[in-house]
Amino acid sequence: MRRTWQRHINKLRWVSLSIVFLMLILLPFLHLYQTYEAAHAYDLLAPDEKAIYDAMESLTAPFVSDPVTDLNALKGTTWSGTLFGLKLSDPLAVVGQSAAGLTIYWPFLLTALIPIAVTLVLGRVYCGWICPATLIYELHDNLAAWLRKAGLPVSRRKLDRRLKYLVLVAGTIIAAISGTMVFAAVYPPAIIGREIYYAIAVGGFGAGIVFFILTLAFDLMVTRRGFCRYVCPGGALYSLLGRFRLLRIQREVGQCNDCAKCNVVCQFGLDPLRDGFGQECNNCTACIAVCPTDALGFRIAVKDQPFQGPGHLGHEYRRQQENSQRSGHRDPGEAA
Amino acid sequence: MKRRTFMQKLAFLAGVAGFSALPFGLARLLAPEVKADPHRRVPLPGALPDPDAFRGACIGCGLCGEICPVKAVKFHRNDGAGGVNTPYINPEDRACILCGLCMEVCPTEALTVTPIREVDMGTAQIDRVACYPWVDAGVCGACVGICPLGSSAIDFEFGNFYRPVVQDGCVGCGLCVEVCPEPSLPIRIVDRSQGTVAHHGIGVRRKIELR
Repeated sequence: MRRTWQRHINKLRWVSLSIVFLMLILLPFLHLYQTYEAAHAYDLLAPDEKAIYDAMESLTAPFVSDPVTDLNALKGTTWSGTLFGLKLSDPLAVVGQSAAGLTIYWPFLLTALIPIAVTLVLGRVYCGWICPATLIYELHDNLAAWLRKAGLPVSRRKLDRRLKYLVLVAGTIIAAISGTMVFAAVYPPAIIGREIYYAIAVGGFGAGIVFFILTLAFDLMVTRRGFCRYVCPGGALYSLLGRFRLLRIQREVGQCNDCAKCNVVCQFGLDPLRDGFGQECNNCTACIAVCPTDALGFRIAVKDQPFQGPGHLGHEYRRQQENSQRSGHRDPGEAA
Repeated sequence: MKRRTFMQKLAFLAGVAGFSALPFGLARLLAPEVKADPHRRVPLPGALPDPDAFRGACIGCGLCGEICPVKAVKFHRNDGAGGVNTPYINPEDRACILCGLCMEVCPTEALTVTPIREVDMGTAQIDRVACYPWVDAGVCGACVGICPLGSSAIDFEFGNFYRPVVQDGCVGCGLCVEVCPEPSLPIRIVDRSQGTVAHHGIGVRRKIELR
């Protein structure tokens, strides 16, 4: 079965990432517009504030009748927010808050139920498809590839993947001891959402942006996509939740020609060429998009396939076949 | 990977992390200790009464600030007050209008939905040596006029229709502070235990601290 249409899913993913990021930029402006509207003081606004007001009014006028209340349907960030009346929170926020307060607050737990259910089925899909930091990190990784091509020594060392689970456990323990949300300070999507809001609506970045720039430097100087792969506590939690996910990328060995483009393009350093996906795979579909023979595609399965051997269109497989024919073995189909 | 090399790499990483955290630590240690002025930092309506419990329950999502129609909610930066990204209100700048949206939108128990007359953000306190109807026969009454809770929260003194007296029903929203025309701000929001009238004894002096 050829799955040529699946190579376009990656474009869909970029659209999804861009929409989330643009929403994070748009929402503070909408909030400013709401504030000006609630104050009934258009004449007192500064010229740039008037520009924001006019732009947002023309943008939202077809959809809302009363901006002051109607625009409340869309609030917040991916860390925690309201999406058309549906309250959603990051599972990591629930873990951190439960640890920090040493209590379980049921209404808050319910807001994380939908993300948890989605993660159980689709795996680490938040990391690849929604996370606003992923957009920046992937563009940053493309920049690193350009720098590497230009001859700069961009480091790509390998660390231990279990490090991020250590960060998750240590963060939970620190939160429980100190009673503060340490995850909110080190979790890039929370930082991005907050800092965009601060920069636009409050006037000036906070301390989080320094940390985020440090993670960009870490990606560039230590390892490729290093923060997501080795440090991010949210990535650790989503990896654990998505361990037995139903939707997986799998390799069809009959189509594969061992070109290894998938291994090069995989920013998480996984091994699609040898069926090595594991719980780290975030179903980002970059390997599907790059595969020249459409050998990779989505399957519904609870476990990854074990290594299926070299691809049937490649040199290695043909050499094996010739060797086996020379030594007398024949395919059962050929004998019949 | 062998355990030894793993431990070595872990130690290396810990070293890198420690080194990169050095500027933060130094800045934190060398920074002058600025006590955030509690009079300018008022909790949000419906907030958990214990500040530590509030800090544990708040996830720093910023939704309360995003939904506030008057942009009264501000957030602690790294300003020595602890609880970075947790919200507060400075009524001298912009006061809470008790619309209750932040309580409704808060995903955690940090802000719980409370009827506005049962909100406890503190209480207004009037300094009678600075408020000019009290000092002299001044004509004002701005605080009484703006109060959203009416005469159960702040009312005029019996027999003088310009001298304000804070009542038991005050919830500390701070609109009176925002509207007060006297530059030295004789009215401010304090903890309930401090009473509704500022005391001036010998050696007691109103502290003016840096923001």
